[in-house]
Amino acid sequence: MRTENLVLKNLARRKGRTVLNSIGLILAIAVIVATVTISNSMEIKIGEEVEKYGPNIVVTPDTKSINVPYGSVTVGSSTFDEKELTSLETIPNAVNIRIVSPKLFGQTEYEKSNLLMVGVDAENERLLKVWWEINGEIPEPGSDETLLGSQVFSALGLSIGSSIDLNDRTFMVAGYLSETGSNDDYTVFVPLATAQDMMGLPGKVSVVDIGALCSDCPVEEISKQIMDAIPSIKATPVKQAVETRMMAVEQAATFSLGLASVVLVAGCIGVMNTMVSSVHQRRREIGVFLSLGADDLFVYRIFLFEAVLLGLAGGLLGAGLGVVSSVLLGPLMLSTATSISNVPTYVVPLSLAISVVSCLIASIYPTWRATKIDPVSALKAI
Amino acid sequence: MIEINDVTKSYFIGGNQVNALDGVSLGISEGDFMAVTGPSGSGKSTLLYTLGGLLTPNSGRVTVNESDIYSLDQRLRAKFRRENVGFIFQTFELLPYLTALENVMLPLSIDSVRSSEQENRAYVSLEKVGLDERAEHKPTELSGGEQQRVAVARGLVNEPKILLADEPTGNLDQKTGDGIMGLLSDLNGEGQTIVFVTHDTSRTVMANKVVGMIDGGIITINNRDE
Repeated sequence: MRTENLVLKNLARRKGRTVLNSIGLILAIAVIVATVTISNSMEIKIGEEVEKYGPNIVVTPDTKSINVPYGSVTVGSSTFDEKELTSLETIPNAVNIRIVSPKLFGQTEYEKSNLLMVGVDAENERLLKVWWEINGEIPEPGSDETLLGSQVFSALGLSIGSSIDLNDRTFMVAGYLSETGSNDDYTVFVPLATAQDMMGLPGKVSVVDIGALCSDCPVEEISKQIMDAIPSIKATPVKQAVETRMMAVEQAATFSLGLASVVLVAGCIGVMNTMVSSVHQRRREIGVFLSLGADDLFVYRIFLFEAVLLGLAGGLLGAGLGVVSSVLLGPLMLSTATSISNVPTYVVPLSLAISVVSCLIASIYPTWRATKIDPVSALKAI
Repeated sequence: MIEINDVTKSYFIGGNQVNALDGVSLGISEGDFMAVTGPSGSGKSTLLYTLGGLLTPNSGRVTVNESDIYSLDQRLRAKFRRENVGFIFQTFELLPYLTALENVMLPLSIDSVRSSEQENRAYVSLEKVGLDERAEHKPTELSGGEQQRVAVARGLVNEPKILLADEPTGNLDQKTGDGIMGLLSDLNGEGQTIVFVTHDTSRTVMANKVVGMIDGGIITINNRDE
């Protein structure tokens, strides 16, 4: 008979009581697992939604020239060769780059009014700016068609299909944008090649907006890779929206983990109570062990192995409860659909480790006390 | 084999010092079947546990083969008990969640003996006390006499130099107690050194030495071999 069997047989006769006393620990582990799982689901969801927020990397020429503000970034009057963008395919995280939308900025005049003209790949721009509501059509590549911002469209009193002369070149209004609340409302969009031709800058671009999937990779890292691949440009990560939401998730997770820590401490006290009561109830048994030749190491082995088993059982039950709770309660509490696939692979080993270590820590004092039991008085022999 | 020299052990009970052993000296030879008798509180159990290395005396020496067992540290003294002493208690002290066989295996398990060897030796020990057929029964499924026989088997399984029994018939009826005393006598006949404590003088008839105690002191040593 191995010592471990002795512990298992002893636990088996009081399993109900053991589970009851371990509820605090089980709950703590469940809260930790549920928090990590739901946070992970939210991060994945945010990662997916980030794509809808538009570009998260803006590529501009690496220049010291005076810059022009456009949206949340600034653009310079200088340009770079769009052929250089082929290097994007060579970066380590190339697979994370979803949309590349190059632009060329310029000015145009219409009836003595200066307007901002942007040459775009309209299809990619529309994919990148999912909030765009386009009335009519987008300009065909290389054509003399234009898409007008809402303010330009209304201020000039134009309609879809009407003509507009820009820099002595006649364009047809293919469509216009509903109000976006951004610089786009004051912009005249024309096909990129057309803009390059009009400005005498063939193959040149002012800025490139990049939509990267960054739920599983840092956008800063991708920006750095882009700058390494194309030394003549500057890649700026646009993090604000993502970071704000991620911060909210992190704060919620931190709060939940703080709560879990409190529950974990309570759980440890429960385990300590179990072990203290176990030592007290088993005084005679410990007396028998000592009279039969057990030393303090044997007593430590018995009780700490019991603690490990309690920890493993509590960890497994807690992890199971946490996963089930996150799947069932996640959608109700946080509008975040959670499935078992959202459970990070490290969660179960981590929860087992936390549970086992907590149980061991909670058991050290009761076990030390057990080793100090006087066998003769424990057996009430005298 | 075992020498007790001028051993004193005192307790404080309710602020008063009680001398459970008061300058006790005694020799136990190999093959002895020694009874320690006396009224309640005379110090006979204290003497027994002091002999077994479980109760550190305030003064004096307990030597086994000329080695002072109380000069050993806690772990070495535990090892001494594993290798040299078997205990039998009045209330049997079997673990209720183990079978008779597993209870007998316990001292070997504590001594980290291989599982298969534990089982073989435990069976042999149970055979000695005539309970090998009850090996798989839990203590609650055994009579008092059977439980004490299992306890005797457990005391014997590590082949101790000395078997110490504290009121081994105290919880048994007369007939069952006779059976246990007969078993101990048979074991002594096979060479096992036994020291047992009893307050019942009728249980001392089989002993070759009878030690009488009162108030922590030995008042008589009756050596029937002489």
